Amino acid sequence: MASRGDWSNWRRWPRELADLWRRSMQVRVVSSTLALAGTAVLVIGLTISYTVAANLFQSQLNQVLTLSAQATSAANTILQSSDASDATAVQTVMNSTLRSISATATTDLIAVYRVPDQESSPIAPQDRVASALSAVITPELRARVQASPDGQFWQSVTLRSSSGTFVPGVVVGSVLTLPSTAGVYELYLGYPLTQTQAALASMQSIGIAGAIILLVLLGAIIWFTVRWVVSPVRTAAESSQRLARGDLDVRLPAQGSDEIATLARSFNGMADSLQAQISELANLSTMQQRFVSDVSHELRTPLTTIRLASEMLYTDRDSAEPQITRTIELLHDQTIRFEELLADLLEISRYDAGSIQLDAEPTNLVHLVEDVTATLRALAEGRGSVITITAPGGHFDAEVDPRRIRRVVRNLLGNAIEHGEGRPIEITIDSNTSSVAIGVRDHGLGMTEEEQLRAFDRFWRADPARARTIGGTGLGLAISLEDAHAHGGIIELWSRPGAGSNFVLTLPRRVGAARSGKPVPISPDGTGGDDEV
Amino acid sequence: MGRILVVDDDLALAEMIGIVLRTEGFEPAFCSDGAAALAAFRSTQPDLVLLDVMLPGMDGIDVCTHLRAESGVPIIMLTARGDTADVVRGLESGADDYIVKPFNPKELIARVRTRLRPAPQQVGAETLRVGDVTISVAAHEVRRGDDVLTLTPLEFDLLVALASNPGQVFTREQLLDEVWGYQYKADTRLVNVHVQRLRAKVEHDPDNPKIVMTVRGVGYRAGATV
Repeated sequence: MASRGDWSNWRRWPRELADLWRRSMQVRVVSSTLALAGTAVLVIGLTISYTVAANLFQSQLNQVLTLSAQATSAANTILQSSDASDATAVQTVMNSTLRSISATATTDLIAVYRVPDQESSPIAPQDRVASALSAVITPELRARVQASPDGQFWQSVTLRSSSGTFVPGVVVGSVLTLPSTAGVYELYLGYPLTQTQAALASMQSIGIAGAIILLVLLGAIIWFTVRWVVSPVRTAAESSQRLARGDLDVRLPAQGSDEIATLARSFNGMADSLQAQISELANLSTMQQRFVSDVSHELRTPLTTIRLASEMLYTDRDSAEPQITRTIELLHDQTIRFEELLADLLEISRYDAGSIQLDAEPTNLVHLVEDVTATLRALAEGRGSVITITAPGGHFDAEVDPRRIRRVVRNLLGNAIEHGEGRPIEITIDSNTSSVAIGVRDHGLGMTEEEQLRAFDRFWRADPARARTIGGTGLGLAISLEDAHAHGGIIELWSRPGAGSNFVLTLPRRVGAARSGKPVPISPDGTGGDDEV
Repeated sequence: MGRILVVDDDLALAEMIGIVLRTEGFEPAFCSDGAAALAAFRSTQPDLVLLDVMLPGMDGIDVCTHLRAESGVPIIMLTARGDTADVVRGLESGADDYIVKPFNPKELIARVRTRLRPAPQQVGAETLRVGDVTISVAAHEVRRGDDVLTLTPLEFDLLVALASNPGQVFTREQLLDEVWGYQYKADTRLVNVHVQRLRAKVEHDPDNPKIVMTVRGVGYRAGATV
């Protein structure tokens, strides 16, 4: 899981968003809340906007109808009381009436049509139609006005204003009765609803702005609230990770008595108990080391006395009776064996207690192997085994603890001599850029797979029935393995019954550095190891 | 041939060591308590002290410090642990050498003999000079001007070994062989610790040595004669 998204490539955005959604509870809560709240605000906003628009229109319409009715009735009163009978007089009355209508009805948009199908009259004035109204008065409206001279009818229209823009408006139609024979006229008054429209628009923009501010605030509030809740959880998660990494002193702040505080207290309790147990274990380990050190001193002093005594006897063994001589020899050999066993036990205890210290220094492994081989060559030749050392070039010094590596080589070579059946023993030393390896191959008894699995066990012997001739404590391979591990290395083993064994020690060039590859092959036919230990 | 004081609280071991020493012609004396070790030293005037590290009364390290304060007598520590800290503490308190238990008689006698042998007569030279000090080999004396510098026999041997071949760099292994008589690989800390002790006595400024020079990565050599 990538901790940081790659936003540079837009093709990856959907995936990054999905990732963000999956990873962050905060993002999830905020975005879903915003989606739901946004829908609700939209629905409420639309409803309010619609209702307000309808109400505004209705009240404006009522006002328009009232004004129009007042103007019509006032005009009819004026016209009826007039005694004009010639064309000019009628025209004059008509003009003044229209001016009065315009004033009373508060609009300039006036249209006057003589109702068709009347007797033509010479004194009847011309139709007068305001240009804005000429196109919008529908035949249906006129028909309804003509049909019912006492009624008042209206119709929603789109008016073209003087500036050329279109605005919603209302046209109200009624009937005027002119004096004398001039006849009946239809009167239409147009009202643009500009103000209503403006009010509505401003209300809508306020509403939209309000909704956006509301959503932003809501988002921010939820963002911070969720963060407030999530951040202790996040802290707890980070602290758990630190605890898992071994930082035992990490604790969570626990204030109050809410769920988060309970979580913090539980976490702290867990950390306390972990710390207590680990320090108890550390304590035990220290006690174990003390014990090992005490045993070391207590056992070694009497053993020294025994050793000195047996050596004294051994020096003079030939002056004693034959049986006593043999007894002295046994005592002497077994004292040495006991001493080796004690030394190995103490060494493995030191490893168990984790109290070993590597004294690493640049060491030429070829020289080291030659040294060890020289000390064991006589023993090997006594059994008929010829030891050959193969060291293909390119050997630089490796940084190892020479005492421990010498011990490993001595153990591996000793085992090879012991189990080699007098056949040749080959030692191979090789290296690559990061690793050095020493392989010890014998052609002796070999081991079954089951035996190979146990080869590094403490006190395990390949064949208990076989007489031990070289000795050894049974801890050799176990200690060798610990030595290898202490360097960051391994010992690998290939073996076949009847075909012999190959032990390969592979070490990094520097203690604890990375180790790679196998400079010395493990199995005779390839590079892989049967058993990595 | 030589009187040897064995300071060990384990009576069986002390007696056994005594038997081994006697067989080789030495004359052992015994002390089983750290606190009594100094008195025993003064009354027996031994040629060498075998000193156990763990002792009742006063521990071997402290005994060693006190012995060094009044004598350059060779001291070999007997330690049950090969642990770094113990060994270094023992050497720093003035012990010339140490043997880890359990040891065999040959080892013990070899170490004792090396410390008791007379200083090897170097190339016949009577007087050696290194830095601003003069070494009278026959008189076992080291002088700076008119002041006599008090060195233990081991420190003297170490200085003579370096000074008798002024141009040569000695590895720690060579010095172990020449001064301590170790034929095989031994603990090079012996050399490091005793070089420090020697410098503390002969150098004007031990942090900036002019007499026992360190050759980085190789070993030590004598400084130039002034």
